[in-house]
Amino acid sequence: MDVGPLPQLVVSGILTGLLFALISVGLTLIFGVMDVVNFAHGEFLMLAMYATFGATLIGINPILAVPVVAIVMFFLGAVVYRVLIRRLLAGPPSAVVFGTFGLLVFLQGAAQYLFTSDYRSIPNLPFQGTLHFGAVNLGEAQLVAGLGALLMTALVFAFVEYTEPGRALRALSEDRVAAQLMGIDVQGMNALAFGLGIACVGAAGALLMLTYQAYPRIGTEFALTAFVVVALGGFGSVQGALVGALLVGLVEVLGGFYISPALKMIPVYLLYLLVVLVRPQGLLGRR
Amino acid sequence: MTVRAHLIALGIVALTLTALALGYHNAFILNLVFAGLIFAVLGQSWNWISGYAGQISFGHALFFGCGAYASALFAARHGSPWLALPAGAAVAAILALLVGFPCFALRGHYFSIATIAVAAIAEIAATNLAALGKANGFEMPILAPGIATLQFSDKGHYVLVALALFVFAQLATLGLERSRLGFYLRAIRLNQEAAASVGVDARAAKLTTYAACGALAALAGSLYAQQALYVGPEDTLGLPISIAIALVGVVGGLSTVWGPALGALVYVALARYGGALLGGQGHGLDLLLYGGLILVIVSWRPDGLAGIGRSIRRALERREARAAP
Repeated sequence: MDVGPLPQLVVSGILTGLLFALISVGLTLIFGVMDVVNFAHGEFLMLAMYATFGATLIGINPILAVPVVAIVMFFLGAVVYRVLIRRLLAGPPSAVVFGTFGLLVFLQGAAQYLFTSDYRSIPNLPFQGTLHFGAVNLGEAQLVAGLGALLMTALVFAFVEYTEPGRALRALSEDRVAAQLMGIDVQGMNALAFGLGIACVGAAGALLMLTYQAYPRIGTEFALTAFVVVALGGFGSVQGALVGALLVGLVEVLGGFYISPALKMIPVYLLYLLVVLVRPQGLLGRR
Repeated sequence: MTVRAHLIALGIVALTLTALALGYHNAFILNLVFAGLIFAVLGQSWNWISGYAGQISFGHALFFGCGAYASALFAARHGSPWLALPAGAAVAAILALLVGFPCFALRGHYFSIATIAVAAIAEIAATNLAALGKANGFEMPILAPGIATLQFSDKGHYVLVALALFVFAQLATLGLERSRLGFYLRAIRLNQEAAASVGVDARAAKLTTYAACGALAALAGSLYAQQALYVGPEDTLGLPISIAIALVGVVGGLSTVWGPALGALVYVALARYGGALLGGQGHGLDLLLYGGLILVIVSWRPDGLAGIGRSIRRALERREARAAP
């Protein structure tokens, strides 16, 4: 049986999905621990992309830039939590939504003002070759980005699952009051979770620079997909974000090929609407 | 504020803007006032469902675009804009019912993301459907100016038309606050289960409100199209428009009669006027300032400008009480 380009599309969809997964795990981690939907998530992705671009300009290898940018973004996230998010959590629930939207507008404006609207890409991009596996052709850059995202996602998962601070994070997302009674430092853990979430999206941004260009509005594009992924998988569920991201990656690539590239997001949004209408808490979310 | 105070304030605003529209001929300023009024109406429409009823929508551009496209389609076929207004409003209300009927089963962020998804589908559809002008949108034909065509050579007349819609939206909100539906909505926002247990039909109340929101936002969209004479998918259905509408609703203060108007004033003054003064839009300084202001307001007073107003009024009352013997 001739399956045509299907294997190629599936591999491509999975690699795309792995990047979505890393972005979405950051978003869902922040939500799970402190009930905050970070609407500025995409803007942190954009900042990380510019940071990677800057790092390569001063001669840092783009692969080496990934951990460097992730660590810088971790501290940026922790500072944003201390300065802004902590204040918002003291207000009504709407304050968090609008505070993070304000941050989105602010960061996008800042990027447009400082970096202009021009597209920036890494000079002398590495990994320009193509690998052939039977019927499947893979761009090296795409493969490196996908595998890098998989590695980072696995690291974060291992941290949350097997370390002491990771256990404290999980305890907080299960029952905040009980966790506090057990002596868990809520503010410190919130800052850690926010930092980790931003580090994830930061690493994703650095990896994306291998295949994409940076411009001030790129964040919104990816963030929109990440919201759909997180809600599809169930807010707060790391496993759900993984499943959701792979599904969305596959649907996007297959839809783009079999329907039309211009309409590729329609099946993704329809998938979200269908899933939540059947399961209002998402695939793996808790009620 | 008492109803009397609200009506007096509305009268003062209406008279001032009417005088401005008729006596002041700076097209740049009049266009800003027009944009401010349109956003005040959009913010108010958003405030009904997201403020009073607490169902945060990030897809309000769907209804705005519906009205704008109705105007454009009628104009392209030489129909009267006076038919486009009710037609756009009716289509938007029906769309609101179609979206709301399944989606009001969703809670919190799941609902908000669903509204984004629906508006995004509409934007993609409009960008790709030949009947809706694809990505280029519609240039509307320029007709003989006058009330029949809703096109004016004097920018002030557009302000008057938008002002009429704004006054209507404010009066409707005052009515809503004091109606049974208004009480239902606030009960639903505070605790839907508790509201249902005392016999509030939550879904019916939300659907009615959402349909009304859709119709109001569509009317604003139609007027916007009549003034801009161009309708495109990004300008009317895009996520940035939905976000701008939601921000206007919240900067001023949720579930208040004057919050959206205050929010629209800040939005237009900072993001539009400030942007133009600082070297035009597109440089990002306008967004930087507007975003920065939102951050300052929301971290200082999470309930928005109206909350700051309340604090000031309370402080004044306290001083008066102390001054009285």
